[in-house]
Amino acid sequence: MLLEIFDPKAAPKPIGIDLGTTNSLVARMRDDRPVAIADCDLETLVPSAVHYGAHGEILVGRDAMRVAAVDPRNTIVSVKRLMGRGADDAETRRLSTFEFVAPTSEAEKKSVRFKVQGKVMTPIEVSADILRKLKQLATDELARVGGAVITVPAYFDDAQRQATKDAGKLAGLDVLRLLNEPTAAALAYGLDKKKDGLFAVYDLGGGTFDVTVLRLEDGVFEVKSTGGDSQLGGDDMDRALGEVLLATIVGGAPIEGAAPELVRVALDAARRAKHALTDAETVELELPVRGKSEGAVVTVTRADFDALIQPIVERTGVACRRALRDAGVKPGELDGVILVGGSTRVPYVKRYVEETFGKAPLDDIDPDQVVALGAAIQAHVLAGEGDKADVLLLDVLPLSLGIETMGGVVERILPRNTTIPTGARQVFTTYADKQTGFDLHVVQGERELAVDNRSLARFTLKGIPPMPAGMARLEITFKVDADGLLEVAAKEITTGIEQTVEVKPSYGLSDEEVESMLLAALDHGEEDLAARRLIEERVEGERVLGATQKALEIDADLLDAAERGVIETSVSELATALRGTSAGVIHAKVELLDDATKAWAGRRMDRAVEKAIAGKTVGAIEEGVADARGVDAHVAEHAERAAQRRGD
Amino acid sequence: MTGVSTNAFATLGLEPKFGYAREELERRHKELSKALHPDRYVSAPAAERRMALSRAIEVNEAFRRLKDPVKRAEEVLRVAGVAVGETAEPKAAPDLLMEMMESREALADAARKRDTATIAKLGGEMTAREERLLGKLGGILDGDGSKDAALPILGELRYTRRFLDEVAAQEEALLG
Repeated sequence: MLLEIFDPKAAPKPIGIDLGTTNSLVARMRDDRPVAIADCDLETLVPSAVHYGAHGEILVGRDAMRVAAVDPRNTIVSVKRLMGRGADDAETRRLSTFEFVAPTSEAEKKSVRFKVQGKVMTPIEVSADILRKLKQLATDELARVGGAVITVPAYFDDAQRQATKDAGKLAGLDVLRLLNEPTAAALAYGLDKKKDGLFAVYDLGGGTFDVTVLRLEDGVFEVKSTGGDSQLGGDDMDRALGEVLLATIVGGAPIEGAAPELVRVALDAARRAKHALTDAETVELELPVRGKSEGAVVTVTRADFDALIQPIVERTGVACRRALRDAGVKPGELDGVILVGGSTRVPYVKRYVEETFGKAPLDDIDPDQVVALGAAIQAHVLAGEGDKADVLLLDVLPLSLGIETMGGVVERILPRNTTIPTGARQVFTTYADKQTGFDLHVVQGERELAVDNRSLARFTLKGIPPMPAGMARLEITFKVDADGLLEVAAKEITTGIEQTVEVKPSYGLSDEEVESMLLAALDHGEEDLAARRLIEERVEGERVLGATQKALEIDADLLDAAERGVIETSVSELATALRGTSAGVIHAKVELLDDATKAWAGRRMDRAVEKAIAGKTVGAIEEGVADARGVDAHVAEHAERAAQRRGD
Repeated sequence: MTGVSTNAFATLGLEPKFGYAREELERRHKELSKALHPDRYVSAPAAERRMALSRAIEVNEAFRRLKDPVKRAEEVLRVAGVAVGETAEPKAAPDLLMEMMESREALADAARKRDTATIAKLGGEMTAREERLLGKLGGILDGDGSKDAALPILGELRYTRRFLDEVAAQEEALLG
């Protein structure tokens, strides 16, 4: 390894983050290879636990775990399970270990809140504390952290993705992209080098199980199907063996009433045994026995352990077969199976995976690190440092998006497995005479009734001119970006009076909320916020400047002299602004350059399209590109046509 | 009703015709995605990022429309100036309606009895029928004659499609 000398002016380096339920970690590229970043104890895994002290001190990771046993109320673990959950969600009620706070307003219902040290917190803030710790680890090693790729389970819905992105923002990270965990694992294995193939990713973590079928074709990754069980993992194995050990520890008394400390002893011993049995055939455990001064020595063989965990592991098979069925794939058709998650180290699990998929799994990358390593590769590619010509990740919508209609039935607007980014428009009419408001309820899920699906947003389109029922025409536009995040706009198109409401789904944080959370988190409030804004504007400014200069090297021939002059002036003005300290001036110059390059950017995109399909019906393409003006133009045209129809 | 405005064929740079293999459409979709996907524009200025997003959405929407044979047929007809959509098309023949009702009853009956073999058989028959209809449709749409003759076939396809959706839903429910 080359010695990296601390340099405050060092170029920012991209990082990849696996924000896990049980453990998290951060990775980066070094000499073209992804490596996990370790702390001063050479540990790479950071337990996803945060402890909030009585005087505002925050412990993250192993330090938090150490105090978890004595102060469980103020130690938040497995917060990932609560990400994007509303206060009324069934999942929230089931996970009752924290002191949940009842929502006091409609706005507060959109996120779970719990009380820690007298302070009300959201899962987003807790996750941000974990991310801050990871960012700190990365900063210690890299001097400056650039953009970040954060991984999420493939099945995460819009609310959960939005919450993850908000947490990144809150932690001061420039989130380049949310990446699906199985896709990240596939990238870490370099499967993108293979060009084509069909892969399954089997991810058994501490408390969750996910299985995903991925297809790689011509350098493009596609998630074909995904499934799993959010309450299944290595912890269940510990519990299964722990119960047996506990029977010895309590010395014949019923295990149900055992003191929590004894349960802890049994679970710890079970975990030690599980780890030992990965390599050894038998393990001897010394256990204390209640009421006796002499402990007992218990021998556990691998066969004993396998028999205990068999029912747990078999539950993963159901999800695997379902995922294969959803993808329309037979086990024999798979080109490879990837193991992710610490629990896949268990030999019985490996054997079971091999039987289920009919193929020996790939396991030569540390299953705890593989996702973060893949995220680091993708961050590198997105930051423009890698060979970006080759890999492209095409993700799909994990769950259908729809609107609640009369009778509580869902009208599906975008079906699941639609490639993202995507958009759709749907026209609704009023159902009562002189109706001036229209309630919209956006849901995500596969069930027929709105109440059975995940509620994403509710809003009212107001100011519809009074008309007979069915006359007003409301056009709802959905837009889903490459991270799977949704934006909804509604418009009344009949009268030519257009009203557009942009709706960020209701669980996310508004910019104001993020700002006030930031203020609360920073010691010098306003001052720090201004400094942060300057940093953010500089990052954007440098990005725009770099991108423009690069584009000038390649595509200057698409500019006429006048255009080029304007762009060059704007470039030098921005460069000057970047040397100054005014966030406002930088922002203004970025916008100026943005404007100056807009038409050119369109031409460059046309050229990229032509190159991509070189030699194939180019005439038709030019027409196609001229036609592809984006959703906004379509909506406008649609309104026009609707107006024409009324004129008939 | 979905607001459809652009010509999906033009967006993908393809001649408007019905007879495309799924692989051809997928290949073109991937080629265009490689040029327009927002990931390619992460370090680009904001205006360019927005433009790339809009165009990628266009391409994905067009692909979604064209890979579904029923929607692709609608698109061919729309480009040729024939009105499509269930309200614009001729009403279904009474014997088709009767036949579909009987098939649906048989399906509901099999579902009640949890008879997966019969459900699979009904699905298989309908799939074969759909294949035949698609073949016929292709002949008309890509032929030289009037395209109006495609409308009744398109109507019938809507019924077979709904039936197959129902089969998938029942199988999903029974297999769990």
